[in-house]
Amino acid sequence: MLSLTHVTKVFGSVIGVNDVTVELGAGAHGLLGPNGAGKTTLLGLITGQLRPTMGQIRVFGEHPFANPRVLRRIGFCPAADLLERRATPREWVRYLVQLSGFRRDAAAERADRELDRVGLGEAMDRPLSTLSKGMRQRAKLAGAMAHDPDLLVLDEPFDGLDPVARHDLVGLVRRWAVSADTAEVPRTLIVASHLLHEVEALHAGLAVILGGRLVASGTAGEIRDMVDAMPAEIRIRCDTPRRLAELVCSTDGAEGLRFEGDDLLVVATRQPRALAERIASVAVEERLAIGEVAAGDRSLEGIFGRLVRLHRGVGS
Amino acid sequence: MIATDAGQADASFRTAVLSPTLAVMSFQLGRLLSRQRLLLAGLGVLFPAAVMLAVRRTVAEGLDRDLAVTMIYALVPEAVCMLGLLVTMCPAVADELERGTWIHIAVRPGGRRALLVGTYLAAVIWTSAVAILAACLAVLVARVPQPLPLIGILAVLVVLSTLGRAALFALPAVILPKRALVASVAVALVVEYLAGFIPAVINQATVSLRLRSLLVEWMGWRQKLPVEMQLLIDPQPAWVQIAAVFGLAAVLLVVAVKILDFRQFPPSVEL
Repeated sequence: MLSLTHVTKVFGSVIGVNDVTVELGAGAHGLLGPNGAGKTTLLGLITGQLRPTMGQIRVFGEHPFANPRVLRRIGFCPAADLLERRATPREWVRYLVQLSGFRRDAAAERADRELDRVGLGEAMDRPLSTLSKGMRQRAKLAGAMAHDPDLLVLDEPFDGLDPVARHDLVGLVRRWAVSADTAEVPRTLIVASHLLHEVEALHAGLAVILGGRLVASGTAGEIRDMVDAMPAEIRIRCDTPRRLAELVCSTDGAEGLRFEGDDLLVVATRQPRALAERIASVAVEERLAIGEVAAGDRSLEGIFGRLVRLHRGVGS
Repeated sequence: MIATDAGQADASFRTAVLSPTLAVMSFQLGRLLSRQRLLLAGLGVLFPAAVMLAVRRTVAEGLDRDLAVTMIYALVPEAVCMLGLLVTMCPAVADELERGTWIHIAVRPGGRRALLVGTYLAAVIWTSAVAILAACLAVLVARVPQPLPLIGILAVLVVLSTLGRAALFALPAVILPKRALVASVAVALVVEYLAGFIPAVINQATVSLRLRSLLVEWMGWRQKLPVEMQLLIDPQPAWVQIAAVFGLAAVLLVVAVKILDFRQFPPSVEL
């Protein structure tokens, strides 16, 4: 459905996306990365707003840049807030659906239906300027989905929302993703976010982008396995970290050491449990005061943070 | 595209081109009905009349008809139309970038073209309406004899002026969206008021030459004009002048559409 082959996008001297190769099929996919990682640029390339400087993009088998055949099948909800003020959600969504090639009456019908679906039925005739950010976000989502796209691309769709609005919209997008799995024509959902739990909630496959590069992709489990194959970290807080480091070096299992602050020793190892036990017994024998022993964060959030640190050359 | 229900995009001219263009036009006209824009329109309508009133009061024996027509021509099809288009056509792309709506439009099939052509039509309609009202009021205030035929002439000149110059301003709007206003003023001065008054081939590609020539022909001034002034008009018949304005507008608009088709705005520009 969507393939990028060695895609690079350069803006003057700034690299937005760097040599990305990835294939995405039908279903839900999460694009993860911190702010400034290149997610929006990558989505701009996929949704045909930007042309790659190098490499090739194919969406539904065709290049997407300003290609009406491809664009007709894409729904896009950008990250930027909607600053259109006078128009109402009904007028705005109808306008967008008309731009997708629907006649006015059909566009009006679809706009009303979609606004009802996203929970804006009551507020669809209020000017956008009087709506909360969550409501404007719903209006944007309705605009992206009302023409029934085969590829739905959402850029930070839950950013800046309160917990209730976030919960509602995650549910809404999840329902679209589930319906994408069962749709007659295979459909794809791409959600870009810098918050892992948002993407995890969608049960989506993950692609991690950092510094414009795709550093990992797969299911959440596959990414965990990949990180497992790299040394884990044990963080030990004690009053004599340099003495403890000497002792740790004399035991098996430690692959790397670093100090953080005056009282924290971070040890990289592939046998975290065994090494932690050995450190504990050595510390007792040498009468070292250990304040805390903590394993690295094993949640997806932790793994994501780990990938970010590895990419920046910090840590093991 | 597969038809999934009534009204679905089927790539016909109506749904692929006409419907999106009319949607943009209607949406832009809606935006132009804001309080600030209506206030601006009011100023545009009153300004030429105010000038004509001031001039009439200073001339005790009454205004000469030809002088009054020349002044109204300079004030309305030239000044009011130019100012109206600077407000409505120049920000065609910049406004969308600022409102964060460009990205919503650029991702729609034919959205870019519909945006430019729809905004062009809205600018022509809004500016023409303001300028025609301004012309009517100015003619009445100046107490020009036989006002109705004159209003008819001025209305046609206004429509031709907006059609041609909106297309001219479409180029800076798509090439330099963030500096479109400054660039358009420069284009207006250099193309319309410098090149347009050079008696050479270059002025053939300006709207001002066509409008002047039409005014001279329709007012029956050709025989009265001194020889040196005749160099500043085109002697060809009215239909040639009108066709030239339409041709020029079409060429400029097609070039602007082609440029916009290939424009890319980095995410930071949109945000």
